[in-house]
Amino acid sequence: MAQQGNTSQILAETLKLQIGNISSAIEKQGHAIFGGSNLLDSDEIADFCIEFLELLVALLESKDPEDDASPQFHALEMYFNNLSRQILMRGGRVEDLVRYIQFMQRALIEMLAENKEIGIKEARAILLYLSGIFNELILAVFAAYLDEKERTIYAQEKELRETSTPITEIWDGVLTLPIIGTLDSSRTMIVMEALLNRIARDRAEAVVMDLTGVKNIDSQVSHHLIQMVRAVQLMGSDAIITGIRPEIARALTSLNIDLGNVITRATLSDGLKEAFRRLGIQVSARA
Amino acid sequence: MNDFAKLPGMHLTEIGRGVFLLEPSRSLDISAQDELVVAVLARLQQAEASKLYYDLAALPLIEPLYYQWLNRLARACGAINAGMVCINFQPTAAFALAHHMETPPAFSAALSIRERA
Repeated sequence: MAQQGNTSQILAETLKLQIGNISSAIEKQGHAIFGGSNLLDSDEIADFCIEFLELLVALLESKDPEDDASPQFHALEMYFNNLSRQILMRGGRVEDLVRYIQFMQRALIEMLAENKEIGIKEARAILLYLSGIFNELILAVFAAYLDEKERTIYAQEKELRETSTPITEIWDGVLTLPIIGTLDSSRTMIVMEALLNRIARDRAEAVVMDLTGVKNIDSQVSHHLIQMVRAVQLMGSDAIITGIRPEIARALTSLNIDLGNVITRATLSDGLKEAFRRLGIQVSARA
Repeated sequence: MNDFAKLPGMHLTEIGRGVFLLEPSRSLDISAQDELVVAVLARLQQAEASKLYYDLAALPLIEPLYYQWLNRLARACGAINAGMVCINFQPTAAFALAHHMETPPAFSAALSIRERA
């Protein structure tokens, strides 16, 4: 503990003495990496350098600078996490940020090399300490990077799901749901949730589910389909399935799926006619 | 028309000739199914009921035990020639129930009393 205290004390004192040099070196490097691509402007880079050094000094002067659960360490970690998000959202690369952090570490080590009063034992302890801190900071940057990527992928998936299963009220009380592609568990849940809420909201009495865009079906998908039909029926609406291709029909029979309680029609047009018939709606050409 | 009978945990109202509306409350104890079925059926038989609407508006979730109770009541209604129609199914309830239903229910469903059933 005494060794640790000594390490951080030497580091803090040296840093305070040379804060101007360090700040200008990392600011210059910041401009070289982020300034050219307009990811961060000059003021942002300058603010970033000052805040980083302030947070680092706060950590070094804290009660236990080795404690990675301390508020000071957490503040430093969160600072890099937020910076990482900001740069990634502006189209920056995580590699550049990691290289920048490595440069900061190198700048601090070079600063210590100029202090001739530091012995080999102390220098070794300081290097280990710095490497521990900077490794954690790089991990924080990668965690933010992965979070951001996951969020982007999730948003894209959500958008794709919404556009691939549009629920349309084609007539008062009649909803159509064209299903394109594969119905996996997560997609079924999303479609089902959206469909049931629409039935409740629009008081839809008939739902036409068109499978023309479904290329193949397995036992899991057919199970999901039956679940969807049951849920629609529980809501008090008629579920009409249309566009079952011959190969889908063959697969359903070989999977022993009973469509006895389900209204099926060959085409979407036939399905709509059936929905209209059930609702007592007659559509005719003007005489 | 406005005649109703108070049953433990539920409200049974005659809303038309031979048509009843059953509104369960949160205090409905479905573990006492036998007593509940007898009480409901006695009232329906007395009024020569042909249809019972079971209002599920207050139930955001229907677990298997409650589904079993609905089926049991529907079958019992069938025994006295009265059809049971569940109305106002909540999307969350329909969603969850569809996942653990293995056979079609003994009752029919409608969006509400106004809609065809």
